[in-house]
Amino acid sequence: MKTIVRLAGSIILFWAVGMAGSAQQNQTDHAVVSFTNPAKPGTVEVDVREGSITVRGYEGKDVIIDARWRERVLIGEKREMEAALAGAEEELDQEELARKKAQAEKSRGMKMLAVESMGLTVEEEDNVIQVRVEEGKRAVDLIIQVPFSTSLQLSCRDDERGVTVERVNGEIEVDTSDGPIVLTGVSGPVVADSSDGEIKVVFGKITPGKPMSLSAMDGDIDITLPLDVKASLKLKTDEGQIFTDFDVQLTPSQQKKEEDERKDGGGYRVTYEKVTLGLINGGGTEIQLTTYEGNIYIRKAK
Amino acid sequence: MNCERMKDLLADYLAGELDEKTLAEAQGHLAGCAACRGELESLSAIWTKLGVLPKEQPSDALRSRFYDMLEAYKENLAKGGIAARPLHSISLWLSRLMPRRPAYQLALAFGLIIAGLGSGYFLNVRSRSNARFEVATLKQEVDEMRRTVAVSLLKQASPSERLMGVSWSSRIDQPGGEIITALLETLDHDSNVNVRLAAVDALYLFYGHREVKDGLVRSLAGQTSPLVQLALIDLLVGIRERRAAEALEGLIQDHKLNPKVKKRAELGLVQLS
Repeated sequence: MKTIVRLAGSIILFWAVGMAGSAQQNQTDHAVVSFTNPAKPGTVEVDVREGSITVRGYEGKDVIIDARWRERVLIGEKREMEAALAGAEEELDQEELARKKAQAEKSRGMKMLAVESMGLTVEEEDNVIQVRVEEGKRAVDLIIQVPFSTSLQLSCRDDERGVTVERVNGEIEVDTSDGPIVLTGVSGPVVADSSDGEIKVVFGKITPGKPMSLSAMDGDIDITLPLDVKASLKLKTDEGQIFTDFDVQLTPSQQKKEEDERKDGGGYRVTYEKVTLGLINGGGTEIQLTTYEGNIYIRKAK
Repeated sequence: MNCERMKDLLADYLAGELDEKTLAEAQGHLAGCAACRGELESLSAIWTKLGVLPKEQPSDALRSRFYDMLEAYKENLAKGGIAARPLHSISLWLSRLMPRRPAYQLALAFGLIIAGLGSGYFLNVRSRSNARFEVATLKQEVDEMRRTVAVSLLKQASPSERLMGVSWSSRIDQPGGEIITALLETLDHDSNVNVRLAAVDALYLFYGHREVKDGLVRSLAGQTSPLVQLALIDLLVGIRERRAAEALEGLIQDHKLNPKVKKRAELGLVQLS
């Protein structure tokens, strides 16, 4: 079964025209989509270029999607336009620049009517719901309600508000380039990566056995684990530091390499990777935390 | 006292093990109850018959047979002890890992374990010398099983399962071409940064293989995540792979490169030269 819901058609057209400019500030789209087999945990995949994603678990069977379009035209495009008008960026294509300049000139003193489709597409197939936002339109804040056991695959680029997830027990895969990742009351295996943002995860409980991994280039990683968690931590940071209030039992790194090239006229070398292995309550679920500059915080649940 | 209770006490009554008070009560009941008296009589007849059976005396032959067997068992235990330990630890290891896997991927693996353990025990019982050979075979089979499981896990949609696949790969003693290809494939094409990072760590363990070094050098140019780039540079510089110099120079030329990665690449170039 394949359901495609294309949103923001004529309704929004009438609405937008009727309410004129003021409508643009809080323009929203709303969609309710059900899984093919609601008895089985489904998956929700969201990919947003510019915008934020908030997912909350709730006691229902359907997935409820609310999209709040931001008033401004694409942040990136606006930036580009400003740069173009200032005549600064040499990286931009000259022809494109000239065209944008001319367009900006033409629309001077006028306001934009948002009558076209906002470009939100929701698609369901085999218990997988895909939410996509067309690029090159306006930035959007998505608020999605899902059944507790849903698995999530969230991708959010170029936006500072990032991804927020609350009370979802399924497997969670998240990546952001700029924004933070904040997960609260989650339990499933979490695999998350952020280039510039920080990652904060508060686990309600831990699904045992499934490995997890969090990585951040510049931001901190801050996780809160249940008191009685059994975990094997693999911690790796280049310039950051590691803090914890758990009683972590550090074990010698397994990443030791001995090299004996003396036979071939070389030298003998023992190297250690910058990896720290730590066991909490005797070890268990594998959790790898990797940062470059950011610190790592491992907290006990209060 | 009722008949129910009396029946429970009959055996003790015959053996003379009742205390005075209960004995008096029992006698009182027996005097007034014909059914229980009948029961007592038939039971007592059986007891008497049992009493006249001759006692079985163990023959001298039995004694010596027993001690022979005991000696043989002790000897076996002393010699077989070394061979038995690795078997035990492998099965412990298996039992620790098994229950967590999704049923489908492991159907094949389970088959292999059963075949491995089954034939292992069978041969161990048969003879000591065979047991040692069999442990080696079993190790190979476990390796083979890990390979199968790792390759299948690496193809899963769930990043957590792919991480598990990488982790299984790194436990293999003799990785073979299949695992190395799968890990390099993961390093180059996996959509998840965390899985790619784990693949770098796993490949580090196998860098003695030529195709691993080749693959790592080749992979550097295609990586987009700064964390993966850093991990690869660290690895290549760590193992003094001189052919990486060219790849590092290429990386430094890329004007979109993260400045921190660029710094590390430049440092790496100096260390390699």
